[in-house]
Amino acid sequence: MNALGAVFAREARLAWSGGGGAAGPAAFFLAAITLAPLAIGPAADLLSAVGPGIMGFAALLSVLQSADRLFGDDHGDGTAELYLLSGVSPAWLVLAKVMGQAAATLWPLPVIGCLGAMMYGVPVQPALIGALALLAAIPALSLIAGFAGALAAGIRRSGLLIALIATPMMVPVLIFAAGAGRTAFEGDERAVANLLFTLAVSLGTTALAPFGIAAAIRSRLG
Amino acid sequence: MLSYFSNPQRFDQLARTLIPIFGGLAVILLGVGVYLSFFASPPDYQQGETIRIMYVHVPAAYMAMALYAALAVASFVYFVWRHALADTAAEVIAPIGAVFTVLALFTGSLWGKPMWGTWWEWDARMTSVLVLLLVYLGYMALRAALEDAQQAARTGAILAMAGIINLVIVKFSVDWWSSLHQPASVIRFDGPTIHSSQLWPLAVMALGYTFLAGWLILYRLRSQALRRRARTLQRKREQAARAREEAVS
Repeated sequence: MNALGAVFAREARLAWSGGGGAAGPAAFFLAAITLAPLAIGPAADLLSAVGPGIMGFAALLSVLQSADRLFGDDHGDGTAELYLLSGVSPAWLVLAKVMGQAAATLWPLPVIGCLGAMMYGVPVQPALIGALALLAAIPALSLIAGFAGALAAGIRRSGLLIALIATPMMVPVLIFAAGAGRTAFEGDERAVANLLFTLAVSLGTTALAPFGIAAAIRSRLG
Repeated sequence: MLSYFSNPQRFDQLARTLIPIFGGLAVILLGVGVYLSFFASPPDYQQGETIRIMYVHVPAAYMAMALYAALAVASFVYFVWRHALADTAAEVIAPIGAVFTVLALFTGSLWGKPMWGTWWEWDARMTSVLVLLLVYLGYMALRAALEDAQQAARTGAILAMAGIINLVIVKFSVDWWSSLHQPASVIRFDGPTIHSSQLWPLAVMALGYTFLAGWLILYRLRSQALRRRARTLQRKREQAARAREEAVS
């Protein structure tokens, strides 16, 4: 467990020292939700109706935005080989790694998501439920981004390829996470069900994706 | 059975006999199917002549899904037994499946306009087929981006297997998603019973599509195998020439 803690801490430190920490995804998220009303128009009832959905969508994009860093550098400098040689189960290692990066860089997303929804005119309670759903979605989103990133590690301009691979896999998380905020806004009792489904998808992804990521890393070294 | 066909010569022989059979069956079945569905079957009592789009659309949708299943199975066989032929099969199935997916989406859109009054409806089935197309595209893009053949094969296999788990969850979640909103007042015709005058042309067309896909896959499999052999021969010849040059100098 010590090795896993070290990997987790290393990832978090790396994200802070080299990658600007949480600033990148947060700034991207902020930019995306600033632009959306400019495209949709300032009508208040329309904005409050699309608000929860836009938050989920923009959060997904900001997770994708940094997905190429996670395993791309490891592939290039030989860290990936060392991980596989370390004797620690690679599935646990990549889980610690992805979670380390997610904890260091993605924590502002629910906060901005909640404030952003309120800026769109969404009442407090649905905005909070939407933010909770975003928090529940972060493990799934970052693990899927990590899986796509591990498959495409080291490919030049891999960002586009990662987005193409990851988007179909993010469909369920997006549906449930954005759906939680949306149904809460509409006063539908299914908001809680959506929230629980988001958690379920996140837990399922946490159980399965590390094996996929480990297999992907191994296949790219072969 | 698997190890039996790992001999490329044996596979080549089988492919050479099967390719004309599949091709001939595809042409005959599609010919009969087109005649049955466009001339010999009655127009639908509700949808009129537009029902004939179904005979092109439904088999295409079925092939789009069946070929993804085949892609995943081939990837599994490659991943577990490292069977080179299975990888080549996965490689050649993907673009064929993608084309059937596009055909299904396109004909579905053409059918939707007269039936539902809209080219595109964000309903569960259409949305999941659109996601299926994205999965195909991602798979092909990943393979194309990886230059090393073995890496492309193994990485592609992992992605294809993850894709089939994903598609099941996508199907479920998209059903849930579209049930959140009352669907627009469109005319639904999802009757589970289908009259035999429509079932026959549909079955013949579906079989024709299947043989067409089988023919295309075998044809491309064989040409890929030939290409690989040609490349090996060329490399050997170059090596021999280089060795001779070194011996002379």
